[in-house]
Amino acid sequence: MVEARISYPPPLTLWDRINPVRMIGELSETRYWMYLLLIPSALLITAVVIYPTLYGMQMSFREMRLNRPDLGTGWVGLKHYQRMLTDPIFWVSLRNTAVWVTSAIALEFLIGLIAALALNRNLPGSKVLAVLILLPYFLPNVVAGHMWALMLDPRLGVINDLLVKIGWLEGYKAWFADPSTAMAAAIVVEAWHSFPFFTLLILAGLKGIPSDLYKAADIDGAGPFAQLRLITLPMLKTIIAAAVILRVIGLVNSPDLLLILTSGGPGRSTQVLSLYAFQTAYKDFNFGYAGALSVVMFILLMGFAWAYVRLSKVNED
Amino acid sequence: MAATRSRSKLLWDVISYVVLVGLAFIAIAPIVWTFLTSLKFEEDIVTRTMQYIPSRITFENYVKLWNQSGYPVLVINSLIVTTTTVLLCLLTGTVAAYAFSRFQFKGRTQLMLGYLVVRMFPAVLMIIPLFIIMRQVGLLDSTIGLAIAYTSFLLPLFVWMLKGFFDAAPKELESAARIDGTTRLGAMFMVVIPIARNGLLATCVFVAIAAWNEFLFALMLTTSQGSRTWPVGLQLMVGEFQLPWGMLAAGGMISILPVIVLFAIVQRAMVAGLTAGAVKG
Repeated sequence: MVEARISYPPPLTLWDRINPVRMIGELSETRYWMYLLLIPSALLITAVVIYPTLYGMQMSFREMRLNRPDLGTGWVGLKHYQRMLTDPIFWVSLRNTAVWVTSAIALEFLIGLIAALALNRNLPGSKVLAVLILLPYFLPNVVAGHMWALMLDPRLGVINDLLVKIGWLEGYKAWFADPSTAMAAAIVVEAWHSFPFFTLLILAGLKGIPSDLYKAADIDGAGPFAQLRLITLPMLKTIIAAAVILRVIGLVNSPDLLLILTSGGPGRSTQVLSLYAFQTAYKDFNFGYAGALSVVMFILLMGFAWAYVRLSKVNED
Repeated sequence: MAATRSRSKLLWDVISYVVLVGLAFIAIAPIVWTFLTSLKFEEDIVTRTMQYIPSRITFENYVKLWNQSGYPVLVINSLIVTTTTVLLCLLTGTVAAYAFSRFQFKGRTQLMLGYLVVRMFPAVLMIIPLFIIMRQVGLLDSTIGLAIAYTSFLLPLFVWMLKGFFDAAPKELESAARIDGTTRLGAMFMVVIPIARNGLLATCVFVAIAAWNEFLFALMLTTSQGSRTWPVGLQLMVGEFQLPWGMLAAGGMISILPVIVLFAIVQRAMVAGLTAGAVKG
């Protein structure tokens, strides 16, 4: 014991003193280590997310038109927000956003749930089928949009041809040029693109449900639909809530697919809020009003997320 | 009783197969159709009678797209942006995910929630200021600037997904290394990261696919051929030169080929990672 006490570590060599790996290693033993690990990403996120967002928010209270430098960038208070109240396009966009988001998500959820339930039976070959079924989610919007534009084309679309052949259509239809079908067609494309997201999350949730529950239900004589309603869906509540919120955020925020498919037309029939904000910024160069539109969109989204989480919590109690 | 149950199981198995095969068909039919279109001559595409199976095959669409439209430059730009984005996420995100996974500290929960909430910020609201800021610091219309902008939505995702993989890595080996006198730094790089390497790979691939596919930021933050990525290039070709369908289909197929290959390779680990993060979140 005594010998052990007096065996000091060897003195530090010069290299030891300036060796960066050893210095960081020593730093890693201090209690500030985790904060040091977080600094790089926190700085980056502050620079590319927090700062631009705050900048954008204050922009919504300013006059900011790239094509009218003579107006300056002065403070205009709530002018943009007041304009929104009487802007018919804003209200149309708001209504379209609601239709777009609810219909697309309802469809995605339904198909996603059915696919996940079928995949969860682990039948032979379902691994390969799972890869094929999940693939669309990983494809780029640009290609997804053009693939469907090709298939729905009024002159050479294969879907038109098939529908005519089976007698559902008289002749080829210009799906994206008709205000009454443009939104529905876009929703089909969006559902095709993103239903695998629900499949993915619900499948993960299904793996976490103890099989005893189903055995007990079997003994009690509960049929498959009763089991779905009484066991599966309640057990999946949290994950469904998370999936819906993430999808709502994604759909409300990104105008990509509609920008590629319709640019909001024909007329204003597929004009959604994010697309309107986008076009206000990059076609009209009115950054102030675009900022205000985005802020309103953000507030609505936060409000939705908050209410949705509250509601699903209340139901639990 | 037992017989009816096994018969009903068989029935549901059959229904499941029908559903899965049907959905798989719907999922890949547009891809297959685009592929077939890319192999057709333009006059066979716009013909009055639909050709389901091309009567003759050509690779001319691919050759023309590659040689005449500057597509190689777009693909190279996309590769640079994608690589830079993944590197930025790796450098800053790996250590953050490790910190969230292994340490309890003040503000941890709030900070993690913060990383989740930033994904709610509207892209349009961020892009306008990013455009102004990037122009001021001279990063507008550069591949580096675009990659930095991509970290705004991909870094939080990277951290959350990788944290799930780190959580799943057993802590015992790490403790053993610590007892042997390894520093925390050593334990992180020599023990934890090697154990979670499949997850790390899957996370990187997920971020790479997202960066490769991204359209909106690229449309706004690049203005010239020098830094433009393929989704923007393809979209502009459609608008400007009335790109023939065959070439558009060929461009689509070239661009999604890397995605399909990467997805097929790492899909199992990636699916596990995505869902692990989501189940806990």
